[in-house]
Amino acid sequence: MSVARRLVGFNLFTACVLGVGGWYAGWFSAHAVVGPSLDYFADVDFNELSLVLGYIGGVLGFLIGLGFFNYPLARLRGYPPSLREKEQGGIGRYFSLCTDHKVVGIQYLVGIGLFFFIGGLNAMLIRTELLRPDHQVWPAGTYLTIVGIHGTMMMGMMTSGILGPFANYLIPILIGARRMAFPRIEALTFWLLMAAGVILETTIFFGGFPTGWTGYQPLGTEANPGIDCYYLFFALVGISMTLLGLNMIATIVTMRAPGLTWSRLPIFVWGVLSTAALMVLAAPVLIATLSMALMDRVVQTNFFVAAQGGSAYLYENLFWVFGHPEVYVLALPGFAIVLEILPVFARKPLWGYRLAVGGLLGVTLLSFFVWQHHLFFSGINADLRPFFMLSTELISIPTGLTFLCGMMTLWRGQIRYSVPMLFCLAWFFNFLIGGLSGVFLSDTPSDTTTHGSFFSMAHFHYTIMGGLVFTFFAGIYYWVPKMTGFQLNERLGKIHFWTMFVFFNLTFFPLFIAGFQGGMPRRVVTYPHGLQFLNDWVSVSAFLLGGSMLLFLYNFVKSLVFDRIPSPADPWGSKSIEWQLPSPVPVQNFDRIPVFSSDPYGYGEGGRPVVVPAGAPAGMN
Amino acid sequence: MRATGFKVLGVAVGLAAAAVLIGLYVSKLTTDNGSKAYTVPVQTQGGHKVVDLQIETVAAVGPQFSPAHPDYVSYLVRDAQGKWLRRTVWRLPANATVHMTIYNFDGASGLRNPLYARPQGIDGNSFMLDGKATDFINPDDTSHTFAVPAYGLVVPLTGVADNAKNQCGYAPCALSMAHHTITFTFHTGKVGHYRWQCFVPCAAGWIDGFGGPMQTIGYMDGFLDVI
Repeated sequence: MSVARRLVGFNLFTACVLGVGGWYAGWFSAHAVVGPSLDYFADVDFNELSLVLGYIGGVLGFLIGLGFFNYPLARLRGYPPSLREKEQGGIGRYFSLCTDHKVVGIQYLVGIGLFFFIGGLNAMLIRTELLRPDHQVWPAGTYLTIVGIHGTMMMGMMTSGILGPFANYLIPILIGARRMAFPRIEALTFWLLMAAGVILETTIFFGGFPTGWTGYQPLGTEANPGIDCYYLFFALVGISMTLLGLNMIATIVTMRAPGLTWSRLPIFVWGVLSTAALMVLAAPVLIATLSMALMDRVVQTNFFVAAQGGSAYLYENLFWVFGHPEVYVLALPGFAIVLEILPVFARKPLWGYRLAVGGLLGVTLLSFFVWQHHLFFSGINADLRPFFMLSTELISIPTGLTFLCGMMTLWRGQIRYSVPMLFCLAWFFNFLIGGLSGVFLSDTPSDTTTHGSFFSMAHFHYTIMGGLVFTFFAGIYYWVPKMTGFQLNERLGKIHFWTMFVFFNLTFFPLFIAGFQGGMPRRVVTYPHGLQFLNDWVSVSAFLLGGSMLLFLYNFVKSLVFDRIPSPADPWGSKSIEWQLPSPVPVQNFDRIPVFSSDPYGYGEGGRPVVVPAGAPAGMN
Repeated sequence: MRATGFKVLGVAVGLAAAAVLIGLYVSKLTTDNGSKAYTVPVQTQGGHKVVDLQIETVAAVGPQFSPAHPDYVSYLVRDAQGKWLRRTVWRLPANATVHMTIYNFDGASGLRNPLYARPQGIDGNSFMLDGKATDFINPDDTSHTFAVPAYGLVVPLTGVADNAKNQCGYAPCALSMAHHTITFTFHTGKVGHYRWQCFVPCAAGWIDGFGGPMQTIGYMDGFLDVI
């Protein structure tokens, strides 16, 4: 088939072409609506209606190009229902709408990885500016935009950092199913996220945005048109999160294989279920809030415009009603990966399985009752502070339970220090520091001096990067051999781990000192001269941390593109079901649905816990 | 062997594409934001460094200078060829005398703090307003201030009257249009990076007048890069 022939059809190329076309169609249609209305331009300074309709048109064109509207139209025309699309075939599947959950998982891994590196590049730009205490490379507005893109990209994209690649790939396999409950919606969540990422990056063409990742009012109302990109990005991420969460819940609740009772569910599945519940309940609030903020800018509503009777404070509250559960959307999958991997490398059953599940569910529940600790000093009713202080500190109990289960699983285990295990062990260290520093921020008196400073920034980097990103890499090293059928280089993996661990701590620990002693505020381009040594130290460490990421990339490309050493069937000696299937897993996963007889953590207790019927798993290949 | 060659080619193309995209991204962030320094020409008089710095203050920077924010109030600097540039980071020599001329084309919005109605930190603590020595202006007639806090320097700029004829809508503004000319002299000290700004909350429509252009380098905010 010729290259031109391959490009024609419903795929990424067509999607990009129709996406650009849709953008211009939206742009021009809004111009036609607004026309030469001077009143409109006098009010809004910029034709933001065109910008927003342009992006909406772009997203629709992108989805049409990928073929998302083909199936609904076919059904309207009377074609029979079908759950599968483009599942057979070569590399083209990865650049189009494909309903194979394994393909979607790998799409997520590469797509999110790409935006993770873009977010990381922005972090390098931030640290370049902070090499000197005065303005140096970027003006204040540009610096704020870089900080905003970094924060928003990381917080938005990494919400699906573990659920996207690993849950999509593994959940149907771990529960003994052949697919997700809604395969097309599964694919849609990925492509929406990619469209969102591109939209966020285009903010630099419209003046950027000064609000960081929170989009606070009245800054949001008064910001450049670039903030529309922020609103659209996060709204699309919210839609993607909601659909992803619903799909996960539906799949786990309704499609478990015989024998897979709730008490036999792998802990990773429990973690995904908890996270999915958080997504479904929290993300719609985000979508609604950002839609209201967008309407304030584009069609002159006044939800958050104080001068017109709205409330900027309402935005802050609504944002954090989503925002704090969002933090646990990032953290919980990390807990789940650690608890899933530890028994394999400690050669012991997971200690306190029910306690761990309780911990995950406890965090899920309590995370909806803590949001105002972000607003202690925003003028909230002072009587509310003790409640939110207490609820925040209370959440350390279920968090501590999962931590305890992990520690006890290690106790007297026969620990193997393979790369995934090293990343899991680092999680204990990082998350402990992140968690303990969080107590200072949840406590109203100490939050007086620490909020809004680099102390707070160091805290959440320890929890999110130390908690999520380290476990993200644990997942990559652990499951990529399953996903691709090839090993990652262990030696390079260990070098990657140690450089990342050391430079991560050298980067973020000094920021506690800068925030606590020097009172260095976040999101300010200049800082006191006395803090230059600390900042230079941090910048150099951050650059080396960036270097460790490049080392990972080198290992990834070298191992999977050039070396291509086939992975053993079960390289880690796991008892979990995914390692009983061929690598990579066949399209249909199982010829016949397996039967489960126990949980997968019976190390030292005899045979494997899953009975795979004779003939399976031959798959379709 | 051929397959390996294709892989190497693929990785090389990927790396090159990434490098180009990163370059374009960083380039977009670093350009067109007024942060690029303008080096003011230096003369030597009797062994002493002297510079002649000419700037103008405009009510709106206009689409020619800033397509993104044509309505932003702004300062522009004049280069040796007489061309106006949207640059607010000015590179000056250390320990030099600066003869500064400001052409103010904007209307008056008044001072919140009348203290700034008196010039400070300049030679003689007085300036020439349209050729006339002045050490105080009516705070209500003030349009902007030029201030360098590290030098203790503040100079108030008288605004163009509301009923003046031939007012300038947006930059570049010709000297034939309604304006006031303010001249004064100050001295740079040691090497350093000194912020200058306007202390009149003149960013109408922004947070208390201090948002938008007031907080953005390339408009009402900048640095003296003293080398």
